Amino acid sequence: MYELKTLLPEYDIQLPTCMYPMKVLNNSVASEVIKADACSGFYNGNGNPLATSAVNCLGPKKNVCALDLDNLSAQIQNLLKSSNDVDSVCARQEKVLKQLQDLKQQMANIRASLGLCQKGPQHTGQTSLRNGGLREEPLHDIVINGHPNFVPYALLALKNAWKNLFTIDVRTFKHSTMPDIGKDASEFEKKLSQVKIDPSKPKVKVSLIWKNCEHTEMISSPTMYVPIYGEVNIIRYLGRVGPEEYRYEDLPNCNEIDAVLDICYQLLRCNTTKSRASMLRALNLRLGKQKYFGGDKITIADVGVHSSLKRLPAITSKDLTPTLTEWQKRVQLVTQL
Amino acid sequence: MVADKENVATGAVEGETTSKKAAKKQAKEALKAAKKAEIKAANSANNAEEGGDSVDVSAGRYGSAGLIQSKEKFEDRKFVSVSELSQPAYRDQLVWVRGRVHTSRSKGKQCFLVLRQQSSTVQCILAVGDRISKQMVKFSGNVSRESIIDVQAKVVSVPNKIESCTEQTIELCIEQLFVVSQAKPQLPLQIEDASRAENPDDADSLNIRVNQDTRLDNRVLDLRTPANQAIFRLEAGVCRLFRDILTAKGFTEIHTPKIISAASEGGANVFTVSYFKDSAYLAQSPQLYKQMAIAADFDKVYTVGAVFRAEDSNTHRHLTEFVGLDLEMAFKYHYHEVLHTIADTFTGIFKGLRDTYSTEIAAVNQQFKVEPFKFLEPPLILEFAEGVQMLREAGVETGDEEDLSTPNEKLLGRLVKAKYDTDFYVLDKFPLAIRPFYTMPDPNNPMYSNSYDMFMRGEEILSGAQRIHDPDFLLERAKHHAIDTSKIAAYIESFRFGCPPHAGGGIGMERVVMLYLGLDNIRKTSMFPRDPKRLTP
Repeated sequence: MYELKTLLPEYDIQLPTCMYPMKVLNNSVASEVIKADACSGFYNGNGNPLATSAVNCLGPKKNVCALDLDNLSAQIQNLLKSSNDVDSVCARQEKVLKQLQDLKQQMANIRASLGLCQKGPQHTGQTSLRNGGLREEPLHDIVINGHPNFVPYALLALKNAWKNLFTIDVRTFKHSTMPDIGKDASEFEKKLSQVKIDPSKPKVKVSLIWKNCEHTEMISSPTMYVPIYGEVNIIRYLGRVGPEEYRYEDLPNCNEIDAVLDICYQLLRCNTTKSRASMLRALNLRLGKQKYFGGDKITIADVGVHSSLKRLPAITSKDLTPTLTEWQKRVQLVTQL
Repeated sequence: MVADKENVATGAVEGETTSKKAAKKQAKEALKAAKKAEIKAANSANNAEEGGDSVDVSAGRYGSAGLIQSKEKFEDRKFVSVSELSQPAYRDQLVWVRGRVHTSRSKGKQCFLVLRQQSSTVQCILAVGDRISKQMVKFSGNVSRESIIDVQAKVVSVPNKIESCTEQTIELCIEQLFVVSQAKPQLPLQIEDASRAENPDDADSLNIRVNQDTRLDNRVLDLRTPANQAIFRLEAGVCRLFRDILTAKGFTEIHTPKIISAASEGGANVFTVSYFKDSAYLAQSPQLYKQMAIAADFDKVYTVGAVFRAEDSNTHRHLTEFVGLDLEMAFKYHYHEVLHTIADTFTGIFKGLRDTYSTEIAAVNQQFKVEPFKFLEPPLILEFAEGVQMLREAGVETGDEEDLSTPNEKLLGRLVKAKYDTDFYVLDKFPLAIRPFYTMPDPNNPMYSNSYDMFMRGEEILSGAQRIHDPDFLLERAKHHAIDTSKIAAYIESFRFGCPPHAGGGIGMERVVMLYLGLDNIRKTSMFPRDPKRLTP
């Protein structure tokens, strides 16, 4: 061991006479003090155990250094003596606890009278480490309009992939412009409803509306945000609000992931076999020898590609390269489309 | 009979002038030969005029049918409805058609009539020929609008579409024409004006409108417009679908009294009628009787009947008498069983209308341009708190326990439409404070209640709730609302003999039709509307 350097040199501190002790904020203690010092208009800091210690530390009479262990123990002894006994500390602690309890009760009452959920803040309101500890806004319920011919398989894929992380609570509706949704969409609906919902996980409520619309579009709040068009962009949105494991914007390869998603977007708009094949070649190139499109870990890029391929029945296993087929098997285990 | 006289008179005049004009006529005839051949199609044009003017060749083939007193049966006359005329089976056939003269236009030797049958119209043509005399053409041109006529005619296909009629591919070449019922020559309103499309954007179009009050004063004429024909056929459809769907769901139709001894929903807004030496009230709603039917083990009931509200409100959506479609249903454990039943009934009605009344909807749309009604299946159910949240996001200050004001209600409708693209939605869990005393409070949060409203195009159409079926609790709630319990003693007593938990709601049929079609006034969907200012017709 070695000796610690004294941080504060021992010299007299002259308290200026123009200073006066701070008012004690804690009312109950203050009122006690007032009772004790009822005779004087200004109450003296020495009446308060806490203030006493503070004053003692700095007091010119004591000439002690806070870091001097011997002195410190002596000071604690002193303090204990001067603050009467342990009982008062205990009483004080009790009081503080009681106040806390009162405060809690008060909060609960306010919450009840406001008609809020009794369970306290929602999961979506949790602070996140990833965005610098900022409080996240509760998520809006979102509406996704989809045409039954262009089933947004990504929803199911994400729902399955996030089974243990995040809940996507999907309700499906048929719009009046779409009397019959067909086999694929009904199958998709059934599969969606089979995924169990874990209430303990953070969640986002999605209303999927089968509608006679041109694009798959997402509306979160008509007054605050413009709609988001295209399935890959909805994947991006969900990737941003979903579980941390799938947020990709801070990853070194985020550009890569974006590029893959953009290829998916184009792939879905390909009309000819030729253009589709070239898109597949591009995907194959991007995948290379990696396990997934984003590297070793599955990312939303994989979800995007997988659900896009699922949506194009024209692409059979024959069109896929061996690497893509292998990859598809791996992803299928997670997404279970 | 008037027509007959006229016929004789004109015949005499024609006879005198024949000789003078004969030569002139012939000269003219030669010039027009080519043109006539085109127009008269089947007729041999050249020799038609020569003999035609002296003797009425069409005598007996036109005129008044006289008062039809069921003297003759004319079983050989095969009548065809206008809407079926374009079927290929009738092409070039002689058919009988009875309809109204929609418009008539005669010019010289031709007469064009547009014959109307409800919403369908067809063009008829009469041209002087070997079987059609000038007198007949003249007579036909003078038949006043809206008169009912019987015609025998040949169905002929036309090369160019007739834009002004619903049957655009064919026209009728009239062979015989009889007036069945003559209309007054002066009409208080023209059907054409009454059925003119309302498009405020188009400044060029003719801007002659018929005032709403004029329409209602002459409702019989007004109802003949295609839009009105369609509206009331669709209204019948709403009623029929309501009955069919609920019957299929195991409901029983009941009929409740309309003259009652005490006001059912509070004391205000009730009509008093004298009842022998006493006075009675007109039912404001079948509420009490529906609930009594539930207590009497009918399980699921509905009723269709008149409901009276003595509210002196002259708005676009209030009537003092309207048709109430009410239902009440016992449930097992959760009032959502009922909520879903009602919401599904609505969806069923909308689907039925969409699928089987598309022509009516199109006919109404022709005159009143509105967006088609959109809905979701299953229906969208939001909680009141969610609705309030949406309103706040849009910048509207509204309290948690505050009822939706009419502008807020409309705004919320627009917000829901923007987000979910549906014109129909359900708002669940209303604050207890703004609901009647018999509403069951929410077990989880005393601020809310087990009550719901349903909205179409942002306007409330149904308000319902789980009712308290426990007499003591009901008494307690009534006291809380400072209601004189002696006045509702009978109501409370009816729960003393055991009553299953139940919920229900009531709809105004006129309002549903108005909002489904997107019309701007409820008087358009009530055949003979009753409001504070109108008791006739």
